[in-house]
This record gives sequence, structure tokens and C-alpha cells, in this order.
Amino acid sequence: MFPRAFVLLLLVAFNAGSPLGRDDERFHEELVVRPLSGDHVNTYFQFTTRWHYGEKDNLYHTQLTPRVIAELLQQFAVKELHIGLTQGLWRYETWGYPIVEATSGAEMWAWFSGFNLTNDEVDRQWKELANVFSGVLCASLNFVDNTNSIAPRHLIRPQFMPANGRKFVRYSTLPREIVCTENLTPWKKLLPCGSASGFASLLNSGHVHNTKYHSLGLKVRVLCEDHDEDNCIVELTQTANLVYDLRLFELSNNDFSLRRLFGMGLNGFCELAQSSKIYVQRNEQGERFQLVPAPMHEVKSTRGGHTVVYSVYDMHEQFKDAGERLFNVAWLSPKSENRRRNLAKPVMPPVTVHRYLLGHGQERGRIVTEVTNSHYDALPIMVQEVIPWYVHAYLHTLSIRRKPHRLNEYGRQRLPFKLLHYTPGKQRELPSHLEIGFMLPGQTSALITIDVDYLLLKWLEYPPDANHGHYIGAAIVSSQLPMGRNYTALPAEGHLFEHSFNATRPSYVLSLHTEALIVSLPTPDFSMPYNVICLACTVVALAFGPIHSVATKMIIVGRQTSAPKNFVKKIFCKIFRRGKAAEGAGETEGAPTSGATEFASTRAAARPAGGPSGDQPLLEDLDEEEEEQD
Amino acid sequence: MFIKFVVILVLLLGSCRADAEAEDTSVLPEGFVDASQRSTHTNNWAVLVDASRFWFNYRHVANVLSIYRSVKRLGIPDSQIILMIADDMACNARNPRPGQVYNNANQHINVYGDDVEVDYRGYEVTVENFVRLLTGRTQNGTARSKKLLSDAGSNVLIYLTGHGGDGFLKFQDSEEITSQELADGIQQMWEKKRYNELFFMVDTCQAASLYEKFTSPNVLAVASSLVGEDSLSHHVDPSIGVYMIDRYTYYALEFLEKVQPFSKRTIGEFLQVCPKRVCISTVGVRKDLYRRDPHKVPITDFFGAIRPTRVSTDRINVTLANEDDFIQVDKDELVARKPFKIVMESQFPSDLFK
Repeated sequence: MFPRAFVLLLLVAFNAGSPLGRDDERFHEELVVRPLSGDHVNTYFQFTTRWHYGEKDNLYHTQLTPRVIAELLQQFAVKELHIGLTQGLWRYETWGYPIVEATSGAEMWAWFSGFNLTNDEVDRQWKELANVFSGVLCASLNFVDNTNSIAPRHLIRPQFMPANGRKFVRYSTLPREIVCTENLTPWKKLLPCGSASGFASLLNSGHVHNTKYHSLGLKVRVLCEDHDEDNCIVELTQTANLVYDLRLFELSNNDFSLRRLFGMGLNGFCELAQSSKIYVQRNEQGERFQLVPAPMHEVKSTRGGHTVVYSVYDMHEQFKDAGERLFNVAWLSPKSENRRRNLAKPVMPPVTVHRYLLGHGQERGRIVTEVTNSHYDALPIMVQEVIPWYVHAYLHTLSIRRKPHRLNEYGRQRLPFKLLHYTPGKQRELPSHLEIGFMLPGQTSALITIDVDYLLLKWLEYPPDANHGHYIGAAIVSSQLPMGRNYTALPAEGHLFEHSFNATRPSYVLSLHTEALIVSLPTPDFSMPYNVICLACTVVALAFGPIHSVATKMIIVGRQTSAPKNFVKKIFCKIFRRGKAAEGAGETEGAPTSGATEFASTRAAARPAGGPSGDQPLLEDLDEEEEEQD
Repeated sequence: MFIKFVVILVLLLGSCRADAEAEDTSVLPEGFVDASQRSTHTNNWAVLVDASRFWFNYRHVANVLSIYRSVKRLGIPDSQIILMIADDMACNARNPRPGQVYNNANQHINVYGDDVEVDYRGYEVTVENFVRLLTGRTQNGTARSKKLLSDAGSNVLIYLTGHGGDGFLKFQDSEEITSQELADGIQQMWEKKRYNELFFMVDTCQAASLYEKFTSPNVLAVASSLVGEDSLSHHVDPSIGVYMIDRYTYYALEFLEKVQPFSKRTIGEFLQVCPKRVCISTVGVRKDLYRRDPHKVPITDFFGAIRPTRVSTDRINVTLANEDDFIQVDKDELVARKPFKIVMESQFPSDLFK
């Protein structure tokens, strides 16, 4: 224990002494601030470490890249890994498209490639990989296994793959996962500067978790020279995407600043970073704000016929001679803002998606995915559904119906499938996996429906909060846009946000996530066995007591005497009779038991005579009977 | 005799690197130095468990986070704390203060803090996982941070909170661990040399029933209530509508907040932290398995961590290899790598739509 601690401490010191900023390893930090419609502000942090490590042996000497990532590449045949931890729902209609896509809860997918790699081996590695990151990110990713993972066929594609070797992919979501400080803390620890300096110092839990939407992302990819595994680059991209609702700040006007959003100003840049820049979007919703201090540069980016203007603050220049001051940017809105606050309507993005459940009861239902194309031209659409094993889907009920925008209801008109891939699920083993491709005409919505049955689970398969419901993960909808309006994602070959500037391409691949669904499976009343035991015991006790006493006790028939009317005489009479009854009991005890039937019959005869007045005890030892019930 | 021998051995072994340490301890009073020298542990671990789910059990999460905060403040690193929390309170939709959990309606201490690592959370908090964790029989592929990697020199603190009864503690309202299972788990830990001394703390109703079956040596146990008694919560916060924290842990935290890493406070004082007039329940203590006098054991033996450090301004070669080799390697690495062109794959199967 001791020596290890020593070595660690000293290695850090040793490294700090050696010349930093090796030419083959670079770290960049970027912050993008985009005012959105409806008084929302999107802040997007991206931390990129790119290491041209060459051959695999060099992975033992890490500097900026975290050790766990380097070890990952030694241990597993993983070439690309994406993990997202998200809370909240991205509103495409009003906010446009995010820079990085994510679904609520945890999402993870990875590409594996290597020689002699088999399917079973990939399954094993995939499960171990999930376990590693469940420890690294403090998330329950260890619940990822074959029962909730699929191997996507068409929709999820590798960004880069070496030409040789077989390729495998695994994808899984855990929609129930909660994202909180315990995920943010280890996520920040993967950064070269930690949360001590640089943009990561802005990510304080109190100001991250009061957002409407927050998403942590981690992406690792390995890029190698063709046919050469000895000349490789590993890229680690950590992203944090937040959406603040300015109305929650209870401001009199619409002004905001970095300090207001994050609780503090920026204390400088990470000394290990090659570049450290803030980009502020100035057109669309950002147009109405005046920036203080004035930005240093302005960048105009034209992408797919759509122009975006960004103001740039370079932290390296800002803190060149400023001393210890905290850096803050304020967005000031004009005084007449309140009047025209709602005038700037958001631009409807070309494709939007929704998903919901139909049907009632806990037996069967229908999953509906709605894709809307508001572009004038037809768009290719692909949908990937993962239906968990506790929901049975019926493929023959799958249909795509269309609705032009001018109509109010879906008609019977169906859209033809261009692609249909279905892997049936298996109870307790595999989820159902469905991929659909179709052309969606312009100004039209498509309604994809499939009927499902809900399964009755086994006793121990219910989670502790069974009545909360069970989740069906989000569907992914992918499309290819001909124009770049609203599109902000990084191009596949780029690794910095600035690589999306002027990145005009023939088409832009869009990937959207729908809402996750929650179904209430038939859930038994878990307190039922307890209730049944209580009830059964009561019934048994109630029945057993009288039967037992009837079967074992003797009945003494007393003499019928007329009760005296005088109160004093009544008491006297009672005392006198009690003495007699005791004598009688002594007598019967001495007598041989002459059969229960006889006594029973005498009892039956005696009861009406005794009457409800009960002036004479017909049965003795009433106490004994009560004890049985306990 | 044996203990003396061990102490001498430890001193001998440690003398080569304990110069700075000796200076520090010299300022401490005599009695304390004696006690700490008699302590035979080399490292500290903590297993902190909140076994109950649902928002109305906010107080149990606050309980466990109070202890987490204290042990972390007193020096046990996150890598040696196993924190199990069955539900998320900090980011719960019902929490009006997202990312924060308080021990007090006046919001004195944010026990959740800004730097927290939860190792087992939500559905992972099960009796099976807890017993596997204690006995070291975790499943293949379990992450390192989810394992109790303690050894024969470890002082282990186990803290449990939740809803309990006579002889059991409920996990997530769906299963329970019995006192016998707990005692067996600890016995197995002892047999496998997984602890040196163990401090068992439990805050639940009828808590004393949980340590009754213990037979393993070097175990000191404290419980918030005796058998037949309920442990009570401290106070309610009307702004969130639930009880904030349990009485016993509230006073334990109050005590621990005053403890500093080199404090002279002892475990004996800690055991008297909640007298009956404030706790309402009677705090139960079991000392018969523990050989040392709790009044001579510093509280940092269980709530703090030994981390011998030495500040050096010189360059020290710790790998015992020839240093020049490494300088050579560094130079080699500076050779610029050959840049290459990366060809990206298409991100959309356009050919399917032709």
C-alpha cells in the first residue's frame, strides 16, 4: 500500500518536471454559448484530447490522455466508444438540433474490430467494458448485458474503421439511469486539469443540475493509418451540454452572464490546453444581445447555404496580461426587449420526432413513433427500435401511415418500406430489435405503429419499485439532410467545434432520439401473501378455538332458578351460586367422561334455557378459549 | 508480547521514512501517542450503506452522506470508500435544491457536496451485492471501485442505515439481511484476513439486534437503539415535506464535524455521542469482542486514514531503474510521428434508398 502511494505521488511530480506539451498530444477546451428561443440558453462544453500515439506499446506512457482510456485500448479490441448520461429531454421544435445527440438516461455503444474476434468474445468484452465504465463514471452501466444490448445493422455506423479485421457493434440504453453530481465528479477527473482550472471549473454541481437539460458525453475513437496498426491516433472527446431556463433565475430582464449561469466567473484556462476558446452565437436568437466585454474576433461560418456568426473569446489572449481577475461575459438585451420578446419565433427544424404509447390496461398496447418532415422535399428516414424482452412485439402489425400537413388525421395511406430488419426478442435473453427505412415525402408526417403485449414477470424479476413502471428505451431516428440550416453537429472527420465552421458537405447526417416510454406491466400486489397469511391464520384461529373447546370441554348444566328482583339479594344469590358451581366442577372432574356427544346434546338443550341473560356460566374456562386466538 | 514485537517491527520498518512523521507526533500528548502506537492498522476502508429507497426515506440518504462527508474530510480517499445509496435524493425531481442534500432544515451542511462518488446506486444496492462486497466474492469483471480491497492491516468502518426490525435490516423494501447473515459475513472477512479491526455502526430501529450474533474478534459495534426500541428521526423540513436526518446520526455528525485529522478525540467519546435525553432511544454498544479500551483509541483510527507522506524537493528515483534510460525514451518519443490521411466512413446508408 505505502510504496504504491509513494510511486504515484512521485510520478506526478516527475511528470510535472518533464517538458509538457509533447508534439503528438494536444488538449483543447471549448465552450459554445447559444441563446435559444423561449428564454433558454444552451451552453456546450467540449474537451478534446488527441494523441497520436503511434504503436500500442506507447500507450503505457500517458500524459494528457487518462490512463483508463489508454488501458482500455490495450485490454479491449474497441475502436470507438460512445457513452452519454443525460437528464431531461431536448426539445427539437423550439431549440433546434443539439451539437451532440443523447437520450435521457444512459446510452452506450461501441465498435469492436480485430483479428480472430468472435461474437462471443465481443459479448464478453462489451460486458466488461460496461463494467469498467460503471466504475469510472459511477453509473449503473454494469446492468448492460445481452438482455438489453443489440447489434445495430444499418443505423449506427462506424466513423472510422481499419480496413482489415471483422467489425462488431453493440448498443444499449438504460433509460432509468439518473445523472447527478456523482457522475459529474468522476467525469471531471478524466480531464488533464481536473476541475481546478479551465472551463471545467465552471461545472459546479449546483449550477449544472438546476438546468432543464444536462447531458454528459464521452467519446473515444481510434484512427489508424490504412493497413497499419502501428500509426494510430486516439481521440477522447468529453462533452457537457446544458440548457438553462432564464425564467428560473427570476430576473427582471433577459440579461445573463457566465457568472449568473455557473455561479462564478472563469478563473483562467487550463495550462495544459493548446487552445481555450469561448464561442458565442450572434445570429438568430443571439442577435438581440449585446456582449460585454466586446468579443475579440468574429467568425462567419457558411455551411450548407446557412450562415452562422460566432463571436470568439480566446482565453490565452484574455489572460495573457490580465493578472488574477476572473473573466466574465455578460449578455445584455436592449431595453425594449420585453415588448418584442416573443417576436423571434424559432425556425422549425426539418425533421422532428415523437413517441408515445396507445392502448389501455396492463395487457396490450401499441408503440407509436411519429416522424414529421417539414422540408419541402422527400427525406430518407431510418428508425431503430429496441424493445425490451418483457414487451412482445408483433411484426405483422408494423405499419407506416402517412399524413400530409394539411390534413388533421392519419389516413389509411401507407408508406412502403425501403428497409426492414427485425431480430426477434427472446424472453429473458434478448430484446427485439427493429430497423426500418422509408422515404418520407415533403410536408408529411409518418406514423409508425407496432402492437405489443406486456409480459407478466416472475416474482423476483420485479424491481423494488415495481409500481414505478418499466422503461422502453428511446428510438433513434436518422436522416440525411440536403441543407445545413439548424445543423450544428461536428463533421465526422473533425474533432473540434471549430471544425464545423464552413464545413459544407453534400449532405448532413442527422440523428435524433425520441422520448423514452414507461409501461406499467401487470404488477401483482406484493403485500398479498402477507395479507393472505394474516387472513388464513385468523380464519383458522377462529374456527379452531370453538371446535377445540367443543371437542374437549365438558358442559355442566346448571339449575334454573328464578333470579331475585332485589339488587342485594341478587348479589348474595350470585356469590352463593358460585360456591355451588365450584363444588359441581369438582364432582364432574371425579366422574368418568361419558362421551362428548352426551354433553353436546345436553348443551344444545341447555342453551335456550340459560338464555342470553347469562346469569349462569354454561361453559367453564372461557379464558382458555381466548388464549388460542393469540 | 506479540504486540510489542509488531510495534518494534513496524517502527524499524518505518524508521527509514518516518522522519517527518516523528516530528508531527511529538507535539501530541503522551497518552495519545501510546494509543496510536498500539494500533496495528496500516490503512482504512469505509463501507457506507443506505438501504432504503423512495423520497420519504430522504433521512437515510442524509444519514449515510453525513458519515461519508466526515470520513472523506478526515482523509479516507474515495477509492477506499464504498458508498451504497439505494435511491437518488440530490437529483430527485421532488428536491427543490437540485444536487444538494442537507442534514438540517436551516441548510447548515450540504452533506452531498460538490465532490461525491457513489459506488453502488439504485437497484445495485442489494443484500447479495453487500455480502459479496464484504466477503470479497464479487462477480468477474466488477470495477475496482466497487470492491472492498482491504487486507489484514485494514481498519474497516461499516455503517448501515435503513428500516430494520428485531434481527434484520430491510434493503429497498423488498429484501432483508438478517443479523446471522451479517455475522457470517464478518466472520468470513476475519477468516480471509480482510480486516484488522472493524467498527460497526448502525442507525435503524432495534439496531442492537444486528450485532448480537457477532463472534469475530476485533469488532466494536454501536447501534442507535436497543432491541425493542425505535430509532427516531431528528426533525422535519417543511419546505421539502420529509424528515431530514435521524437523531443518532445527526449527533454523530455534530461530533464528527469538530474532529480534525490530528484530533485527540477518542472512539470512547464517540460512543457517548447521543445520550438518551437527546436520542430518545438508548444507544447500544458491544465491546466484548474488542480488545482495546475505546477511550484510548483515537477516532481517526476508523474515521480517518493513515497516509504517510513525505515532501521532497529532490528528485527521487523510485523505479530503481537507470534514470538515463527514461530520459532516452523521452527523447525518442519526441520524434514527430508520421501524419496520415484519415478516410471517414459514410454515416448514412444512402445506397439503401436509391
